[in-house]
Amino acid sequence: MSYSVNISVEAPIENQIQEITYDGTEIYQPPLTLSESLAKYAQKIDFSKTSELEIKKEETNEDAKSDTDSKDAFQSSLWPWDSVRNKLRNALTEVCVLADVLAIAKDKRYLVLDPVQQESLDTKPMVQIYARKKALAGAASVLLAGAEKMKNSQNEAARSRTTLDFHIELLRLRQNWRLKKVSNTIIGDLSYRTTGSKYLQTGTFEVTKAEDEEKTNSPPSSPLPGGPAPVKPTSALRVSIPSELQGVAYIEVLCQKDQEDLCTANLTLLGSGPPPSNPDMHWQQKLEAAQNVLFCKELFNQLAKEAVQLQAPVPHMVVGNQIMATVLPGIQLIIGLRHSTSSDKKQQNPPPSKSDHDHVLEHSLHQLLREVHHKNTHHPFPHPATGPLGPSKKRMLAGPMAADRYELLEMTKTQTLLEQIVQQAQHFIMRMRTEYVLDTIAKEVKDPLITSHWNTLNSPTQSCVKIHISTHGYDAVCRTPLIIHVGQKNLKCICRDGKVMNMSYEPQELRDLIFCHINQHQILAVQALAKTMGWQALGNSNHLGTGTVEPLGNASSCLLSSPTGDRIIAVRCEPSTGTQVSVAHSPRTDFFPSRLVTERKWEHLGGQFRDVRLDKMEGRNFLHKMELLMASLTSSS
Amino acid sequence: MGVTILSQFPIDNKTGPQTIELLSKRILALGATQQGQFLVDCETYTSVQQLGHPRTVHVLHNSEQPATVFSLLETGTKTIPLATDGLFDLLMMKMSHFYTSKKQTKAESKGPRYEIGDFCVKLGSVTVSSNFKGILVEVEYRPCVVPALCWDLIKEFLQGFLGLSAPANPPNYLQNRMQEVYSPIDTIHQYLDHFTIFRKSPGVGLRP
Repeated sequence: MSYSVNISVEAPIENQIQEITYDGTEIYQPPLTLSESLAKYAQKIDFSKTSELEIKKEETNEDAKSDTDSKDAFQSSLWPWDSVRNKLRNALTEVCVLADVLAIAKDKRYLVLDPVQQESLDTKPMVQIYARKKALAGAASVLLAGAEKMKNSQNEAARSRTTLDFHIELLRLRQNWRLKKVSNTIIGDLSYRTTGSKYLQTGTFEVTKAEDEEKTNSPPSSPLPGGPAPVKPTSALRVSIPSELQGVAYIEVLCQKDQEDLCTANLTLLGSGPPPSNPDMHWQQKLEAAQNVLFCKELFNQLAKEAVQLQAPVPHMVVGNQIMATVLPGIQLIIGLRHSTSSDKKQQNPPPSKSDHDHVLEHSLHQLLREVHHKNTHHPFPHPATGPLGPSKKRMLAGPMAADRYELLEMTKTQTLLEQIVQQAQHFIMRMRTEYVLDTIAKEVKDPLITSHWNTLNSPTQSCVKIHISTHGYDAVCRTPLIIHVGQKNLKCICRDGKVMNMSYEPQELRDLIFCHINQHQILAVQALAKTMGWQALGNSNHLGTGTVEPLGNASSCLLSSPTGDRIIAVRCEPSTGTQVSVAHSPRTDFFPSRLVTERKWEHLGGQFRDVRLDKMEGRNFLHKMELLMASLTSSS
Repeated sequence: MGVTILSQFPIDNKTGPQTIELLSKRILALGATQQGQFLVDCETYTSVQQLGHPRTVHVLHNSEQPATVFSLLETGTKTIPLATDGLFDLLMMKMSHFYTSKKQTKAESKGPRYEIGDFCVKLGSVTVSSNFKGILVEVEYRPCVVPALCWDLIKEFLQGFLGLSAPANPPNYLQNRMQEVYSPIDTIHQYLDHFTIFRKSPGVGLRP
């Protein structure tokens, strides 16, 4: 092996170390000689153990002891074999004595050996059985007592698991909620005041031990058929919440169209809320529900205050638990506080589920108030230690940045929660209307296809949609893009040519605009198609002054001439009546001189236009028909 | 925020209010509308002996930037401008042991403020410790921030209603800063320059 390792084997040190010198050398004792080691081992043998027994036997048989052979052992201690010799001599003496006794006994004259009568125990079987029984019973009782003890301790542990320790519960409560001790009671606080709320209503609750409660409650719960009731882990804590915070509350946000609908929706309670409270609820859920009630109350209070203070063109109304704000003409935003306490939960019937409730707006309301809370506690950094707290970061910088009075005026403008939510609702309605208009137009109009792409990212008050108008099969020839910015109360449309159209909240305006663009698209697409077919566009107009007056927009038209110039196609698009196509031949193939036109040459001036009945023509869509028309007119020349 | 040009308007044998009246008529005839009043004041503090080298701090307020206190520290060799929060006034009060104010040098310019299109015109009558000293006309052209780009326009506008007394050249302070971006502290510099001149002049008003 190439990588074998040399192992040095060394015998262990057998000799004892006698001395270690100062230079570290060890001086060993010389090993014992054979005779010395034999003597050492022999010394270790304890002969007395074996001889002792023999002596005892002899003593029982016979007391006589002869010390005839006892020789002097005066030098025993010096000689190493002395003890061995002594023992051997003793043994010899005894053997001799035994031999003598046996010899005497053999004669039977002087000594007779009699068998000794052994006393036999009378063993009664019954007594034995009883005794065993008793012993077993004793052992059993010991075992049973032990088992009982273990069972008890196990039961104890099980019981303590179902009813948690009050103090542990309190510790858990303390981890999640603010508690303080006032004399003998423990008072908690579930208000949002520490996180920046300035709502005056207190959210105090009291924490008590629930032991007595549990005992009174357990008897009525036990008479259940089929054994003991399943033990639910009941809390050792009981929280008592003020009555005005009990139950379940939520903010209901509705967008309603007409005035009449409002009256009916007034009294219904939505079933979409969280499950109603029951007394056996865990304290955590109970406190969370109460905190939610407090939050909803604060939110509603704030909104109601703003609704009264705000000077809106259509004044906001606050009736009972309901705020009504006009979002757009004919559309109201209704914000209601729904608070159901557990006492009246039996009376309420399952209400008809209304889909009007706007969860998104409700969520944004919550978000807005939380933002206000956050702003109350989180002051923007950096602010000087001596400076006042409260002004915004922008205002802080206004001094050093030398902001002028206009900028400062802008800074003072803040939007209230109600204004913000109204804006969001306005945008929501606008978006819905725009969606609806685009979808219906896309459904109605089949010829140019209308596709709309909504931006996935948008803000609560602004979104953007991109519209493409194209013809199936010809989308490479011509495509009209439009971008619509949906705002709060207006729409901004950026057209293909960069023109910006501002529209109001009326959906009809958008509809008209899209129809105008459909017409323009058709005319542009026909011209683009004509170019690829070798035809010549003689002229076009997006806003034609001739013809009947259109209810919306203007008719647009174009004139196309064939490559040889003998055919002319006129296309007229009207938003209301659709497209008209006319064809003129010049010169006409046949000529009949009349009184007015006497010579054929005059026919070169241009002929009469004759309408083409597009609906009778072959082709999938308008452009396809035009392509076929142009192709047929080109080939015939 | 735009470019501001400050120029003095001579008062020949007229009182201050009369001159203001005259200019107001002219500017109103051009189609301006009055937008309240304005006030620029200047207070000067000088350092006490114990601080050694004498220094001067001019603290100015401009009603156009109501949240700001401007201060210019003159060390003799250079001028250090500072735009601060309103708390600076309180700080100066705390430092009254080191910087003492001379009450008789408190200068201010106040008067009506007009807006006419992109221009903002302020006709200020200057008083130094409540003695009338003269008239300062401030014209601000708001859409522009580089003086060189709009100086000709402002000059023409000034000539329109100040006549021959309109300045022919940009103010001294601006002359080597014509290509830089204009900031409110530049207006303050111009005011201070004029205030210093007014303080040194014997004065036209009645002296006590």
